[in-house]
Amino acid sequence: MIASLYRIIVIGRNTLTEAVRQKVLSVLLIFALVLVASSVLVSQLATPGLDAAGLIDEQIKFVKDFGCGAIGLFGFAIALLSTAQLIPQELHNRTIYTILAKPVRRSEFLLGKFLGVVLLVALAVALMSTAFGLSLYWEEVKGVAYADSVYGGMAPHFPQVVDKVRQYEAEAAQVQAHGGDSAAQTQEMRALDEKYRLQETNWEGCKNVVEDYDRDVGRIQGQIRDPQLIEAVLLIFAKLIMTTGIALLISTFATSSIFTIVTTFMIYLIGHLESVARDVWFQRGAEVSIWQSGLLGFLSLLIPDMNSFTIVDEILAGNHVPWSHALNLLGYANVYLVVLLALSIVIFDYREI
Amino acid sequence: MVDTIATSTWAVETCGLTKRYPLAWKRKVLVALDHLDLQIRPGEVFGLLGPNGSGKSTTLKMLLGLVIPNEGEARIFGLPPDSLDARRRVGFLPENPYFYSFLNGDETLRFYGKLCGVAGAALEKRVEDLIDLVGLQNGRERPLRSYSKGMLQRIGLAQALIHDPDLLFLDEPTAGVDPLGSAQIRDLILRLKKMGKTVVFSSHLLEQVQEVADRVAIFSLGKKVLEGSLDSLLAESRETQVQIPGELDSPRQEQVLRLLGEAGIDPAGVRFSRPRLSLEQLYLRTIQTQPGPSARDSQPRP
Repeated sequence: MIASLYRIIVIGRNTLTEAVRQKVLSVLLIFALVLVASSVLVSQLATPGLDAAGLIDEQIKFVKDFGCGAIGLFGFAIALLSTAQLIPQELHNRTIYTILAKPVRRSEFLLGKFLGVVLLVALAVALMSTAFGLSLYWEEVKGVAYADSVYGGMAPHFPQVVDKVRQYEAEAAQVQAHGGDSAAQTQEMRALDEKYRLQETNWEGCKNVVEDYDRDVGRIQGQIRDPQLIEAVLLIFAKLIMTTGIALLISTFATSSIFTIVTTFMIYLIGHLESVARDVWFQRGAEVSIWQSGLLGFLSLLIPDMNSFTIVDEILAGNHVPWSHALNLLGYANVYLVVLLALSIVIFDYREI
Repeated sequence: MVDTIATSTWAVETCGLTKRYPLAWKRKVLVALDHLDLQIRPGEVFGLLGPNGSGKSTTLKMLLGLVIPNEGEARIFGLPPDSLDARRRVGFLPENPYFYSFLNGDETLRFYGKLCGVAGAALEKRVEDLIDLVGLQNGRERPLRSYSKGMLQRIGLAQALIHDPDLLFLDEPTAGVDPLGSAQIRDLILRLKKMGKTVVFSSHLLEQVQEVADRVAIFSLGKKVLEGSLDSLLAESRETQVQIPGELDSPRQEQVLRLLGEAGIDPAGVRFSRPRLSLEQLYLRTIQTQPGPSARDSQPRP
């Protein structure tokens, strides 16, 4: 068992080394740069005169949509292209003969190759997510600076006002926390008022501006430091690995990588459309014939429901998607993957090479 | 009805091994190998000869468990070819291998070694030994994409030997290799034979097969049409050849003919000729007198 696992890891690592040395990742690097640069581009598109908060929200939304979309798209291309040429390239270079002539089971060879692509996709997603994180961080820096400039225009000596209001509130909270007799507390509060409140002619106005500022900055940071983005990236990764699994299954009986690419792409599309068809047909209620429901049942058994992963769009739109839902989807992807791998192993065992 | 192999002391044994490929679009069946019976002793060098498409590679692939026979059975040291135990005792060099072009010589051998369960210091020692054996010191750090054809065949042989197998299958080990590289591979096979390995190889270079093989089988259209030891197959039993040093001028030739006539031999059937070098022998003799025969291999390619 351990020897078998070791052989799978050796083959997986070799597959990853091949991908890295054959400069697949350089494409990713270009992508990462484009992604980071995109936020700069968006900032250049900002036109003065628009509602500041709305503009910043729009920019953040754009970077999120663009980043996750790009991770999904580039990840899909990398997963599909690298899986489709796994077996044809091994056959062309005749390395498959040398490996399978060694004490290596066919299942180990196939799982090793799959592991290699999974590692490659994981590495690609990790790199792209880092670039995505950097571009989001840039958006936050830009957004906060923009809020600073907007609020700075509304109140004279804005930074000093902010400091004063915060210091007052912090010290007032300390006084209240100490407790003690009410006379002493009132005296201390009065001292604080003299130190801070009475220094400003419009203390309440300053306080309101600071509150608005804090709310706006909080909203920006809330959108950017959203832990749900991790959920989104995980779901994108799960979808990519499912695509890899489908491509691997097809490549076990395909005679060319083009066939694998085209067929996987079709299944991917059908996987997106089947739930739409299901919704449309079942909305009609009694009109659904036994043939239609049979076909849909067969399709959903055969082809994974890729559309369920569009929940990522909900996350990007700022809606709350509970972790339990994401975990359910990850579980579904895992089960489907096990089935795909089992089928691939059975077919590959009988393939003549 | 398929005969079965009960027990085996053979390195390779096949019984009625048959492979058919259905050609659906032509509604025909291609018989790639037709009821092959073959027995190869441990320690023997066995040559598979035949034109392209005669079933040599199919035979090797079935002996490795890569192709499943329609009929018949094969055994490697008495074991089924697709069992891990059989594969632990077998090394294989495919025809025209490219290997992983992104790995260098050492990395290639380490990769295959790890697959065979060789690791750590034992693997490093094995890599050193094999690099020495195949003479690839100049290719250790170079990626395989820069290797010449001869170097690829030699690293191929090294990977086939990485787990010290008892039996080697070599599919056209000298195909596309220049005569010098080809001679080096031939010498390697002879060294392997001295080490007690069983070698089964296919080749089109008949002269080379003649130099290294103990026995050969000739295939044609998927059938084994001839099999035997080279001595028994090539000896012309009705003639005798005498070789003498120096040139034999006409008076001496007549003297020899007279002596043979006295011994009751018909002089009409006697021929005098001077032995000739083969072109390969001439080529190797010329090239090997030049300095640094493998210098070309050590030059990096653009």
